[in-house]
Amino acid sequence: MDTNIGIVAASYYLPPGRKPVADIFRDEEIPAERLAANVDFQKDIGIEAVHVAGKETAADLALKACRSAIDKAGIDPKEIDLIVDFTSIPEEYIAPTWSAAGLIQKEIGATRAFATAENTGGCASYHTTLKVVCSLMASSDRYQTALLFAGDKVPEYNHTYYPITVICDGGSAVILKKNYPKRRILSVEVATAGKLHDVWYIPGFHNRSPQNHDPRWLYMTADIPKFNKEVIPINLFMFRKVMKDSLARIGRKQNEVSYFIYPTFSTWDQKAFLDAFMIPREKVFTEGLQRHGHLQETDMVLDYVDAMDEGKIKDGDLVMLTTNGAGFSWGAALVQH
Amino acid sequence: MNTTEVGIIAAACHLPSNRRTVDDLFREEGVKAGGDTLTRLGIDRVPLRNGESGSFMALAASQEALQRAGIDAAQLDFIIDYTILPQDYLVPAWNMSNRLQHELGAKKAFTVGFSGGGASNFLVSLSSGVAMLQANDNFKAGLLVGSEVTIPGSRVVNPSDPVTVLGDGASAVILQKGATTGVVLSTELRSDGANHDVYYIPGGALAHDQPEMYRMQLDKTRYDSSAKFEAVRDVATQAMQRAGVTADSISFALYPNISCDDQARFQEMFNFKPEQMCVTNRAENGHLHGTDFVLNYLSMLESGNRSGQHVVAASHGMGYLAGASVIRC
Repeated sequence: MDTNIGIVAASYYLPPGRKPVADIFRDEEIPAERLAANVDFQKDIGIEAVHVAGKETAADLALKACRSAIDKAGIDPKEIDLIVDFTSIPEEYIAPTWSAAGLIQKEIGATRAFATAENTGGCASYHTTLKVVCSLMASSDRYQTALLFAGDKVPEYNHTYYPITVICDGGSAVILKKNYPKRRILSVEVATAGKLHDVWYIPGFHNRSPQNHDPRWLYMTADIPKFNKEVIPINLFMFRKVMKDSLARIGRKQNEVSYFIYPTFSTWDQKAFLDAFMIPREKVFTEGLQRHGHLQETDMVLDYVDAMDEGKIKDGDLVMLTTNGAGFSWGAALVQH
Repeated sequence: MNTTEVGIIAAACHLPSNRRTVDDLFREEGVKAGGDTLTRLGIDRVPLRNGESGSFMALAASQEALQRAGIDAAQLDFIIDYTILPQDYLVPAWNMSNRLQHELGAKKAFTVGFSGGGASNFLVSLSSGVAMLQANDNFKAGLLVGSEVTIPGSRVVNPSDPVTVLGDGASAVILQKGATTGVVLSTELRSDGANHDVYYIPGGALAHDQPEMYRMQLDKTRYDSSAKFEAVRDVATQAMQRAGVTADSISFALYPNISCDDQARFQEMFNFKPEQMCVTNRAENGHLHGTDFVLNYLSMLESGNRSGQHVVAASHGMGYLAGASVIRC
């Protein structure tokens, strides 16, 4: 895939409200017992507080991120040919009938665009979307400029994805342009293991009996025994596969990667990744964990933006953005700065 | 741009054998069919599932399409889901394509899904599937699949003045690089963000925790006043121009089975003759979103040899997402 497509701008928006994780654990009645490998979920998670959206909707969060990215890119929204929503949790209305893509199109005035949403991949939905969008842009002169965005807001008492992470609300947006010489996307790899489709899921109204008024029908639900038995054993293998394949696609090696963007789930998850691939901590943006916790697919954009803004990524660097998603997907993308 | 040809090498549908007449559905859903409503709709009956899940129907359609294509699921590079109605669990946190990947044994495939735009979501998936095969040297074949399970009591869209009647059913299409038939020459897509919420399900996600709002909603006033036919005319014209063909050279049109009125408007716009469109599926199955395209495509192939002829597939996407593809048979 010779995309010749570059990231013109990337941005994010975090709502001002913050909630300490101690309060979240109390409100959500998170168990205090230790996990495997003597991990204390509540003490070792490494997250101090997360942003909570309050009255702002998921689309509000996304819209603010989009406007910020458009400002940074210095483009007119009318230049945008393609808008893709890569949000990985439910939005205002039911999907796949609806997505926020059209609403965003209307609000920013992207009158000539076509707007859609990519709706699978979990936290790797950014990679799936990059794969599709880069293919569309590479194969047709119809698409010169694309806006990718996400807006995540979890229900008030569903911030903990126990025993994995604590979720932050927020939005992110990325502007891609064809024939853009900077921050070029060199390759994108995505892998999915379909048998793990139901490790993480949200049941929905139609799976709730009429007599049941429990709000958890909209909560993320996890099959933890299956996660432990079937996801954990292959997780790093699948990371290795997508990372290796993305590098092989352009004839590069891992030691040529200058910097890594990796999701902010927990301290023990970050350590496992660093150890498995023998990557020095200073080559991975880990600071976001303590600042805001996990933002689903937006981790990839938020941590990338902060790493650039804080001087961790320099001109000439080869940057790898890699993540897993919802127990069944993995993605790796290489960006040449 | 990319000149690698990608085509549809096989397609299949899975429709439940159980059927219900529109008269019965109107009665069950308390719809008072006044005046010429039934004539305007032109729908006699729709297929209704008998307990089977959307994934089950999708699996059956996919297996049939793979068998017709003569390829093994293990050869698939990707699976794209174009379903429009709610799935087994809430999308986008869950997507049927992953379950299908497992059940089909499509071990090297990865999954993609798209949301919104009614039947046009099929054209979004078609366009994206073609692009992925063209842009990635290592990709050879992909599966597009959709499966619609209507929310109970929500089959008649806009009961006060029905616009269509929804059935249950699934379809699947196999795309292959280097195919010589069913070649997708061009696709044009354009959305009107102002109409993002003309056709949607308001309750059940973040906006409304009210079970009574978990039903298909159509804003009829905005739907009627939207420039949907102008939009579909524009994208179809552009798709034909991009493919290097004229409307005169189009032998057949594939158009969703929303209603008799809706199909007639499209037919008139391009001066297509009645025999250039399939309408029997509308009467027998009602509207199945993207699956309408596959049903009508299969009916077209059954109606005679169209080798080398050009076909346009077009949809206004319920006033939100207009799309058109030109296909060389």
